Amino acid sequence: MGTDLHKKEMRFVYGETLNELIAQNPNVMCLEADLSKASGTNPTVLNKYPANFLNVGVAEANMISLGAGLASEGKVPFCASFTCFASRRVYDQITISVAYANMNVKIVGTAPGITAGPNGGTHMCFQDLAIMRAMPNMTVLSPCDAYELRACLRWMAAHRGPVYMQLIRMLQPQVFDDGCQFAIGKAVRLRAGGSITLVSTGYMTPFALQAADELAKEGVAVDLLHCPSVKPFDAEALVASARRTGGVVTVENQSILGGLGGAVCEILGEYHPVPVKRLGVPDQFGEVASEAYLFEKHGFGVKHIKQACRDITARSRK
Amino acid sequence: MQETFVRAEFDRMAAEWRYIMTDMICRAGSGHLGGALSLVEIVMTLYYRVMRTDPAQPRAAERDRLVLSKGHAAPVLYLALAYKGFFPMDWLKTLNADGTRLPSHADARYVPGIDMTTGSLGQGLACACGAAYAARLDGQQHRVYCIIGDGESNEGQIWESALFAGHHKLDNLIAITDYNKLQIDDFTDKLLTLEPLRDKWRAFGWEVFEMDGHDWDSIYSTLQAARAVRGKPVMVIAHTIKAKGCCVVENKPESHNIKVPDQAAYDKFMNAMTTKTALPY
Repeated sequence: MGTDLHKKEMRFVYGETLNELIAQNPNVMCLEADLSKASGTNPTVLNKYPANFLNVGVAEANMISLGAGLASEGKVPFCASFTCFASRRVYDQITISVAYANMNVKIVGTAPGITAGPNGGTHMCFQDLAIMRAMPNMTVLSPCDAYELRACLRWMAAHRGPVYMQLIRMLQPQVFDDGCQFAIGKAVRLRAGGSITLVSTGYMTPFALQAADELAKEGVAVDLLHCPSVKPFDAEALVASARRTGGVVTVENQSILGGLGGAVCEILGEYHPVPVKRLGVPDQFGEVASEAYLFEKHGFGVKHIKQACRDITARSRK
Repeated sequence: MQETFVRAEFDRMAAEWRYIMTDMICRAGSGHLGGALSLVEIVMTLYYRVMRTDPAQPRAAERDRLVLSKGHAAPVLYLALAYKGFFPMDWLKTLNADGTRLPSHADARYVPGIDMTTGSLGQGLACACGAAYAARLDGQQHRVYCIIGDGESNEGQIWESALFAGHHKLDNLIAITDYNKLQIDDFTDKLLTLEPLRDKWRAFGWEVFEMDGHDWDSIYSTLQAARAVRGKPVMVIAHTIKAKGCCVVENKPESHNIKVPDQAAYDKFMNAMTTKTALPY
């Protein structure tokens, strides 16, 4: 019998899974910087495990270094805030207090990319995957649905070392089920096909799935690799797929510079150069706007994914 | 932890630390001399008369912790740890050398006895708050000491931690400001004054003491008083002299990071030491 996890907002799955992890290991802690309701841990974690819940106020830098101090004493802090504050605002604290010192701190960036929605351009962080990926010792994850989120969190609690994870706060379409197992450094082949390789992560994976299914009806067989583990990245699966298809499209809820598309191009450039199209936000800031508007403006909605797959398929056949 | 205090012995050891530390930094070709020399008596008192540590068990749960938030003063910590037997005295001469275990900034990954990796100013006090908070959660009795710089106190994160520790009444946290009145570019009062420093920490909910950071009795009695405080974190403002004991740069901005390109420069700094001693390596 399933848990219907996908019928819950992802942030509540985060809070409930933290409770599960605290029950298993009392050293797991929930750190917040005055956004605990937005993260879904208040009241879920606060009420059940008040001693494991620490709200530091609007002081993200302090939250990260404090987390390192807690970790030095054997605690396993999960530190959450909006992606803009959980990554770029505290980049040096994460770099030195956490990654350089190799502390067992988990950082959760909520409302990634365009899902920051009405908070607009100041809060739309398009570079967290890129900058966190560039940091030694750091693992970077972006789960796409509630089941995968829960699996990622379980893995994070069991893994000793710094991890950054994007957390989509809202309801997400179901991709996996209760059997979902997260394997670090592994891509998940959601569709198998020989025409084109499509690589997605996090928020964009359900859109990539839709594009792949619609393309199948046109006779374009998409090899869809969903990559919850942005770092370490599954280079082997990517190169094997590109060898079969001869062309790659990437799509992410991020800038096309340095994130998922960057990782794919680095690997292909070195091991198996093929035509690539990166979809996401070009080198621009966000703005207050609907998802449909932003997809249209920057060209990374379902129709753009389909068009890019057709274009690259045609190019790679020449 | 209380070793017998013999003033002449401590004076002798302080002179040795200063001489050896200056040699280590000069051998390395450059380094943060001033802010390490200003901490000699404080760090020695912590390790020899105040903190509970055990070189045989550097990670023992019940030990007192020290976070050197001004991580660039690591050489003074290396002296303390070598003298206490945490690692061989020979290591000292490898400061900053290729493949060394003693890097310029304090590094818990490589150095037995160092409790926190530091080097980016402003972060260590927050780490110390985390360690103190964890100790309280776990019902442990040890204390967390944290040394911050006066220049470092320009960092906003220091004041985030000040708010946090005050709010949570972390009375197992004792912080010390190495108030040598100098930062890299100038005197603190000219560049970005911290005054009234005592009032600031008090306003953040801390118990505040001041001491002469080079006077054995002042340091010891102040730290004992700090340990007796309940219900508040403690800030000890230590009045110190930057580069104390090296007369060519003492109390001068250029003492922060000295450059020692050649033998003449080496001789200049070593000859400027108030007391010459033997080197243990």
